[in-house]
Amino acid sequence: MEHRATQAAAAILAGLKKAGIDFVATLPDEKMLELIRAVERDTELKHVPLCREEEGIGICAGAYLAGRKTAIIMQNAGFLNSCNALTTTSLQFQIPILMLIYYAGDIGDRGFTTLGSVTEPVLQAMGFRSTVLRREAEIDDTLRGAQILADDSKRPVAVLLTKSVLGVE
Amino acid sequence: MQRYDYLKAIAGNAGDALAVCTGWAAREWWAVRPSDGNLKTRTLGLVSSIAAGLAIALPRRKVIAIDGDGAFLMNLCGLPTIARQNPGNFLHLLFDNEIFEASGGTATASRDCDAVALAKGAGYKDALWLNTPEEFREAFTRAWEKNQLTLLAVKVEPGQPKDLPPLKLDELENKYRFIRYLEATEKQAILSPGFDSKL
Repeated sequence: MEHRATQAAAAILAGLKKAGIDFVATLPDEKMLELIRAVERDTELKHVPLCREEEGIGICAGAYLAGRKTAIIMQNAGFLNSCNALTTTSLQFQIPILMLIYYAGDIGDRGFTTLGSVTEPVLQAMGFRSTVLRREAEIDDTLRGAQILADDSKRPVAVLLTKSVLGVE
Repeated sequence: MQRYDYLKAIAGNAGDALAVCTGWAAREWWAVRPSDGNLKTRTLGLVSSIAAGLAIALPRRKVIAIDGDGAFLMNLCGLPTIARQNPGNFLHLLFDNEIFEASGGTATASRDCDAVALAKGAGYKDALWLNTPEEFREAFTRAWEKNQLTLLAVKVEPGQPKDLPPLKLDELENKYRFIRYLEATEKQAILSPGFDSKL
């Protein structure tokens, strides 16, 4: 299983790079451990580990203004933590960001059903396009498509990462 | 002394630094250093994070954050994140008037709280309180030359001069002018070509 998670992490990292992402802010979730480790080890991406997700929206906004293609990797609790910045910085200034959000409380995920139940309604309420990524075969197209959509619409776009695509139980 | 007196003191030494402002300070900074390299933020607290993102992405360009005590205290967790990246080109200026000035004037927690100690504790290479505009200008120039992550903090009286011109731009115009200015001065393409291109 650990091997599967490592492979999945490598595939997601490769997908991010193929989508043109070169600047990544992160705050871990246990389910994304291998992905965060892969981002940490990578020498091409600029990696900014965060203390709280909302500051990451600001850091990525600054980096975008300077020409970087940015993504943030966080859990859905972190997405909720970021809602003011996403509204009054990302939306108000029309600044894109690719959000890779671990979907805690997704079907089949124990312990976070409250969080899971509000995630997609909040994304919709904020007007963010989002897609749930479940299969490894769809990583490249989904990340590339989401990044094009973010860049072209100049808005945040969410890709919800599930246990199956992350290769974890 | 008010924040404006301190901003006036350093405006001539700020060169082509990018400057990210919050609250009422924006109008003051634009008045003393008009430039498309100025950006006014809208999320309370994020001025330091947005400025840090710029500084990390453009390591050879000076970036100034013009922070207030309300915003600074709201984003304390941002300090260790910035210190961990350690952008030497980042100058963090804190104007502490002990109130939420742009939100009606109620007290912040800063009266009993040492922002310099907080920045040092978070890992900033240097952080110091200054007491006069002249001291502030000297410290600003010194920090600029040393090129290391620094917080310069001053206690100021609330308020600003009455006759400052209002900012005649909204967030989007501010953003586009800022990006076009960066494209011109950094000689790099930033924005996608636009709707007329054959992508």
